Amino acid sequence: MAITETIGSATINGLAYIGGLARLAGSSVRTIFIEPIRGKKFHFGRAVHQAMAVGVEALPIVSLISFFIGTILALNAAYELRKFGAMQVVASAVAISMTRELGPLMTAVVVIGRSGSAFAAEIGTMKVNEEIDALETMALEPVDFLVAPKFLAMLLMVPCLTVWADFMGVLGGGVFGVSAASFTWGSYISATLDALQSRDITNGLIKAAMFGLVITAVGCQEGFSTGLGSEQVGRSTTSAVVKSIFMVVVVDLIFTAIFYLTAPR
Amino acid sequence: MASIPTSKGDNPQAPTGAAISVRNLRVNYGSREILHGINFEVPAGETLVILGGSGSGKSTLLRTLVGLETPSGGEIWMRGKNFAAMSEEDRDELRKKMGMSFQGGALFGSMTVGENVALALQEHTELDESTIEIMVRLKLDQVGLSGFENYMPAQLSGGMKKRAAIARALSMDPEILFFDEPSAGLDPIIAAGIDDLILKLKKAFRITIVVVTHELASAFLIADRMILLDKGVIVANGTTKELQASSQPRVRQFLDRIPEPELTGEIDYLQMLTGDVPPIRQ
Amino acid sequence: MDISTRQSGTATIVDVVGDITLYNSPEVRKVLLNLLKEKKSPRVIVNMLSVKYIDSAGVASLVEGLKLSRDLKSTFALFGLSRTAQEVFELTRLVRVFEIYTNEEDALRGGSPNTNAAPVR
Ligand SMILES: Nc1ncnc2c1ncn2[C@@H]1O[C@H](COP(=O)(O)OP(=O)(O)O)[C@@H](O)[C@H]1O
Ligand SMILES: [Mg+2]
Repeated sequence: MAITETIGSATINGLAYIGGLARLAGSSVRTIFIEPIRGKKFHFGRAVHQAMAVGVEALPIVSLISFFIGTILALNAAYELRKFGAMQVVASAVAISMTRELGPLMTAVVVIGRSGSAFAAEIGTMKVNEEIDALETMALEPVDFLVAPKFLAMLLMVPCLTVWADFMGVLGGGVFGVSAASFTWGSYISATLDALQSRDITNGLIKAAMFGLVITAVGCQEGFSTGLGSEQVGRSTTSAVVKSIFMVVVVDLIFTAIFYLTAPR
Repeated sequence: MASIPTSKGDNPQAPTGAAISVRNLRVNYGSREILHGINFEVPAGETLVILGGSGSGKSTLLRTLVGLETPSGGEIWMRGKNFAAMSEEDRDELRKKMGMSFQGGALFGSMTVGENVALALQEHTELDESTIEIMVRLKLDQVGLSGFENYMPAQLSGGMKKRAAIARALSMDPEILFFDEPSAGLDPIIAAGIDDLILKLKKAFRITIVVVTHELASAFLIADRMILLDKGVIVANGTTKELQASSQPRVRQFLDRIPEPELTGEIDYLQMLTGDVPPIRQ
Repeated sequence: MDISTRQSGTATIVDVVGDITLYNSPEVRKVLLNLLKEKKSPRVIVNMLSVKYIDSAGVASLVEGLKLSRDLKSTFALFGLSRTAQEVFELTRLVRVFEIYTNEEDALRGGSPNTNAAPVR
């Protein structure tokens, strides 16, 4: 009895939470694409500013992490493959795991840590300082003003970062392939290109775009639900990171399953 | 109790002449009622001062008037329209004609002082950037902050933040202005400057002004009318002269600055200390 | 608000009828800047007799006109401020910055501006 009740209310809360995320995304879409047609201005400047913070400033850390991940993938693959003398398969193992899974996922993790948490902190601080209230009294809709530029920036920048992460991952795998297996740079690259299908890359990018949306929605939602008092901002930030990681994994699972089911055999 | 508003928010019974008219207003935070049926009017072009002790609900009243809190009962009429029954567009139009300076300033921390003041103008008007720059300097000059437009809010003292917030509230040349404790924590000279500004704004722009304040001297200087709020009810409402002449004990206590008597009776006191009296419900 | 210009000797008089506000002051600004910059008018005089209300956007537009006239070595004057307009100029401490006259004749004659003149109406 008690257990069904708990499960029931948890489900309702979960659905309500997702409903909140969808509302944020929905009204942002309206602000970015529909309102400008009706003559209301949307400030692309603010989106560009966000895009710099989300994308350009994340490049060094994304590069480093995905390079290492590429090397780690190569090492792990080689560990098994050398038993069968199939070291030439290392290149394709790295390329496929990177583009389909780890490129988008590791990029998402970095973006959660850098931007998702920052969104929650920014909006949470504004909530605590009554800045959100001030926006409302100035007839400025907080979602239009704060959230929409973030959605646009993330929708563009997370896929871009992911492409770069894919490339760095392949490079990281190549370092192992060239130094420890019998690859030359030329043969490693051509083995990679042979193994990759355009589907691998586009599927990865679709995931990346979805991750971008989820991270923005969760970060902003946590910011807006910040309670009274500045110590609540810390709570919101932590919660944004944990919930985003969870949601990204769930979305990853859903989309990977869809790609599997719709793939040509 | 509350009459049924028409869809447009217009009503033949709309109070005429008053810029703001509040009828039987009730406001809750959760299950706790903060304002218990408030009634008052502010005639256009007049200044209303809301007096009352800490926690009496002054900020809550102001927040409700600008639409940040939703009343659980009663009506707010502004410029002849029912606030609750307005469409989103009408409400935004009304808000462009209102200015609010928050108790804590509520400046946008990620923008300079100048950007704070310019924001509404940039978003809501087609004014040229050069005109907006001059307007920002005019407003900052009016609050004594000339030359600070490139400062970040974090670089300002508490009193300067408050004045910057007032400049921001003035940015759109509002018809109705709300101030939450504009001079609390300011030095006497600056505080007098704020009083002077309020008087001048009223004279030059015929603005309707609602001010929450603790400073009695300032209140009597700027007010046309006053209300005294106590634990969420209005205990006195009248012109400045009427309040000054009032013999009502609560008014006299406030105006003559007589401290609250201590808890009467040893039993009550003991019960409070031992927790037998339930604390205030959240 | 309506705005029109007419010539009187070398001076150009700008007749403004109606309130100058946040929403229509760009029009006033455009006319003033055009007169000074393109038409090279040596003296621009704004007729405020029919302006009952001017807000700070209107004031700011006039300040822009004044600034440009200084830069271009031409002159800029106002006349016929209503009582409220006079109060707005006092609040913004601009009564001494602008050349302000009570009526058109004085404004055209120029000379020492009558800054502390009583409001016309
Ligand atoms: N956001 C809130 N949530 C719950 N209670 C609140 C909130 N804000 C204020 N209160 C309570 O409402 C009462 C009135 O507060 P307030 O309007 O800020 O008083 P004042 O401005 O007169 O000092 C206080 O008892 C306070 O505890
Ligand atoms: Mg308060």
